[in-house]
Formats: sequence, C-alpha cells, structure tokens
Amino acid sequence: MLAAGAGVFKPPDPDGFRRHVRDHKERRLVSKLMSEREAVERFVEDGDYVSYDCNLWNRGPAALMREIIRQRKRDLWIAAKFTAHDATLLVAAGCVSRIDVGWMEVGRVIQEAQVAGRVQLFEWSNGALAYRHLAGALGVPFLPLRYLGGTGTFHGSGAKLIEDPFTGQAVCLVPALNPDVALVHVNQCDEFGNARVFGAGIAPVETAMASRKVILSAEEIVAGDEIRRHPQQTRIPYYAVDAVVHAPFGGYPGSVPGLYRADVQHLMEFAAAQVQGTIEAYLDKWVFSVSSNQEMLEQRVGQAKLDELRAQETIREGYYE
Amino acid sequence: MSEVRTFTDMEQIICTTARLMEEDKLYFVAIGGPPLLAVLLAKRLYTPEIAYVVEDGTIAPQVPLPAPPFLVAASGSSYRAVAWTDMNTVDFHAALGYIDYGVLAAVQVDEYGNFNSTFIGPAYERPARRFGGPGGANEIASLCWRTILMTRQQGRKFVRKLDFMSSPGFLDGSVGARERAGLPSETGPWRVVTETAVFDFDADSRRMRLRGLAPWATVDDVVAQMEFKPLIAPKLETLELPSEEELGALRAEVDPTGRTIRGRWITVEEEAGGHVRLVQQDAPAGEG
Repeated sequence: MLAAGAGVFKPPDPDGFRRHVRDHKERRLVSKLMSEREAVERFVEDGDYVSYDCNLWNRGPAALMREIIRQRKRDLWIAAKFTAHDATLLVAAGCVSRIDVGWMEVGRVIQEAQVAGRVQLFEWSNGALAYRHLAGALGVPFLPLRYLGGTGTFHGSGAKLIEDPFTGQAVCLVPALNPDVALVHVNQCDEFGNARVFGAGIAPVETAMASRKVILSAEEIVAGDEIRRHPQQTRIPYYAVDAVVHAPFGGYPGSVPGLYRADVQHLMEFAAAQVQGTIEAYLDKWVFSVSSNQEMLEQRVGQAKLDELRAQETIREGYYE
Repeated sequence: MSEVRTFTDMEQIICTTARLMEEDKLYFVAIGGPPLLAVLLAKRLYTPEIAYVVEDGTIAPQVPLPAPPFLVAASGSSYRAVAWTDMNTVDFHAALGYIDYGVLAAVQVDEYGNFNSTFIGPAYERPARRFGGPGGANEIASLCWRTILMTRQQGRKFVRKLDFMSSPGFLDGSVGARERAGLPSETGPWRVVTETAVFDFDADSRRMRLRGLAPWATVDDVVAQMEFKPLIAPKLETLELPSEEELGALRAEVDPTGRTIRGRWITVEEEAGGHVRLVQQDAPAGEG
C-alpha cells in the first residue's frame, strides 16, 4: 500500500449483505404499499446508515426525510452526495451524528454541530460517494478510481492508494458502501416496487441496489400491468424494494422535473430560519405539528400553492411526453 | 470621448472565462454557480458548439434563455439534453478522456493550482468557516484534460498553504506528482481567472504564472493580492473589459435573477486612445 486515508468508514461486508438479501428480501410480487409513518417505523432504526438520492432542491425524498425527523430517529450516518440543505435539516433535528461529505449546503447549523462535536464529518467527493454506492450495488468490496489521491480529501477519507498489480501504476481504491437504508423518490412505481425515474439523477439505481432496506416514495402509483407494457422504463426492480409510499408532492419543497417546480419561497424561509436561529420553529411548523406529508400539504402549503407549482413547470418533454 | 463602464468583479471573472472557451470541445461543470454561467455565456455569444456535462448526469443540455430562476432546481437546467444519465456515467466519461475542460470555482488556491472548497480556519474540527466540500471538483480536476479555476483576486484566496486541499492541481509540483497519486497523466490546471488577472502554469516548475492583466490593473496590484509571488510571463496580455453585449446577455439572459453575478462593483473609464482608468471599486466583500 502506498498511502491510506485516516477517515472512518462503514466497512464493506458483501457476504453479510448477501445473507441479508437471502433472509429478508421478499421474492414474491406482494404489495408493499404503506404509509410513510409505517415505512419509517419498520425500516429505519436509530444508528442506521441512511442514503438518499438527489436532494431537497430536486426530486429528493423530502416527505420521507420529514417523517424520519417526526419520528425523532437518532444517531444516523448519512451520505451527502450532492446534498442541498437536507443534511442541515437532519442535523438541526438531532437525527444525524455522522456525515460522509461529497457536497452539502453548509451554514451555521452544521458548523456549530461540528465544532460542538455533535456531528462528525468524513471527506469524500460526490463522485466517490456515488461510486462507493456502485461498488455496493455490484456486490464487490471495493472499486478502483483515478482521483482523490494526493489531496486532503483523500487523507480525510477511507480510501487507499496501492500499486495496481496489472499496470504497476498507482491507483486509488474506495470501499464499497452498503447503506442500511435507501430513500429514493421516484416518478412512478407499482405496488410491488417496480420503479421509474425520469430525468437526470444522481444515483437512484446504485443507491437502491446497494442498500439493505429500500424505501421508495412515488409521485404516482401505476398498475403492474402498465409496468409490464414498458419494461425498458423500469430502473429499480420490485425484489430490491421493501416499502412503497404513495407521496404526491413527496419532493416538496424541491422540484420534480416534469411535474412541479421548487417552492422558492419555502426554500428562502428555511434559509432565513437557519441564519436567524429559528429552525426549531420551522421544524414545528412543517414537521412536528402535522401528522403526515398529506396533512402538511393540505394545512401548510395549500392547494392554491400546489396548483401554482404545477403550473410553473412548463417542461414535460422528455418526462411525460 | 471617454466611456464609463460599471460591472461586478464576478461579471468580469465570468466574461473572461467565457472568452477562454475553445469551440467544439466538451466541458464539465458543477451544477450551478459561476462555471455554469461562464459556459452558458460562451455558448450564447462565442462558442455555440461547445457542449457540457453536469454532475447529475445531464449531457449536452440546451438551457432555455432567459434561464429560469433557481436554475439548479429547475428542469430547464437539463432541457433538451442528448442524454439524461447519472453521476457515475458522466464521471466515467471524464475518466475515459472525453471531457476536455473542467471549469470550477475555488475558495483558496495555492501556487501549484491545488485548491480548497472544504473549510478555512485553524483545524478541521474547528473551522472558522466550513464550506460545502469538494462536491464533484476532485474528480473533475483529476479526470478532465484541463482545469479552469475561477476565484476572486484576494490575498486570502491565493495562499502559500491551503487550509485544506480539497482537489488537486499539480500537488507538490514535482514531475509526475499527479501520476504518483493515481491521477491520469497529462492532466492538470490550465488557467486561473480572477477579476484582474489570468494565470497559467509554467511547464517546467508547474508554478502559477501571471499571463494576463485587466487594463486597469498593474502587476503590483495583482501580486499585492496574493500571499505567494507568481511567475510573470515575459509578455503580458491585456484582458478585455466586459462588453455591453456580454453584460446584457449575462444580466438579462444567463443570470436574470442576479444570484451569481453579484459582487464588488468596479467602475472604469475608457479614455480616448484606449487607456482604461479605475474610477472606483468597493472594498472586498465578505466570503461568498
């Protein structure tokens, strides 16, 4: 070995993952439809490593994140690969104690939590985290890549630099990441978990396939027959999925391209709450004082705003046309 | 006849970067911010056939102008792409050597073009200010053939020693340093663009070298805003001012909400004979 990063990382365990799949994953086509409350109660435990695809700006699993906050999950470890203020929200709510960083919006919440020792950060990059999920999704313990080496990011990560046995050149290795839980917000899904994701994405398939427990939230539940008519569109197959939550506007306040735009006013409200130190009030208003995503949409957002966000999204080409 | 022009430091950085773009090449940009605006401006005015990939897997989009507000969260950012893929896929394309240029923003840069976007302050656990992290910059600066960095000309940004090296330039500057760290050969930083200067890197020493100056700035002005002393090219080129056309396109079409082009105002007067005089510039703003 030529060099090794000093960062702590979730150790790869491909055989442990296989055993989990053998013993716990449902092979039959059974309905996995449930409420977000049930999904998070059953499949997210304190101390879990949770990974999510996309972020609170764009097709992120916002409704599922709010449910995690509502249920006051603790000591989670998250992968912030291309994260907006999602990490801030989870840290402010006291849910998260460790973050693998690619990129995340950082303000006083995360900085204060880091300095106070309430949250530990580990350095990776967006690409390295997406790639670690790929390794996890391939069932291998590590993968080589041609970046990270030589930088502080490398030293803060769990990567290793070795001499490649084939070329004799230096090459960086990163450990596979198999999260305990994946949260992916999808456009369409059947009750069994066969899922369609439209548009560019970060790593929806890798995130789902690498994770032991997979919770999907879906804008729309479609019939199994519809899935079989267009099998090319299925990105995640049912047997990887543990829970399907029907969550229209489940990406709110972010956008779901082709369906609705981000609520910029809401995003500004959050930004102000962070700067002004009033996130507790924000969380109370948007999470704790309502019992579900549906109730939040009805009582806090309102139909007029939802209609407006749908109307603002004028681009459907490529998604639904 | 003299002409007075007012623009922000960031507008000057974006316009200068846009003019560096090479037609028909492939670019890799972060999903928002000054690098994306520079590429959009270049496509609009100078190099319509350049294409770019974005970290979210979007390949060669045609962003509708005027750009929608909050572009990073809007479907306009990936409109009419040739493909919608994912992060691993576009990173693979960069690893394969398809992407000619990476365009990136930096919080701090050192004389070998290594840069920081992670934190500033005395210690990792006690940052004076923590930033978002490298994002995709580490892979982009490693895998693209050439990297263009954008930053403001300030002593606290051009530092002798980075508080943290998020992403690689020429590392310690020694021959083969990048290859020894596992990075692809013949890659590295190519230009650093600020509001008053453009730098390249000396082929032998790999140290940063001043090669272009804004018409109102002197070498001393630039070097005074650097902790380390750069090499100086034997012949310095004079950078253009942002033109009316560039500022119009930037303000009305590329960044109509003004989120990214905000900055320190600079006013210059272009006198008869082409001499450009600095009339006024604001004090450097806080970190942003």
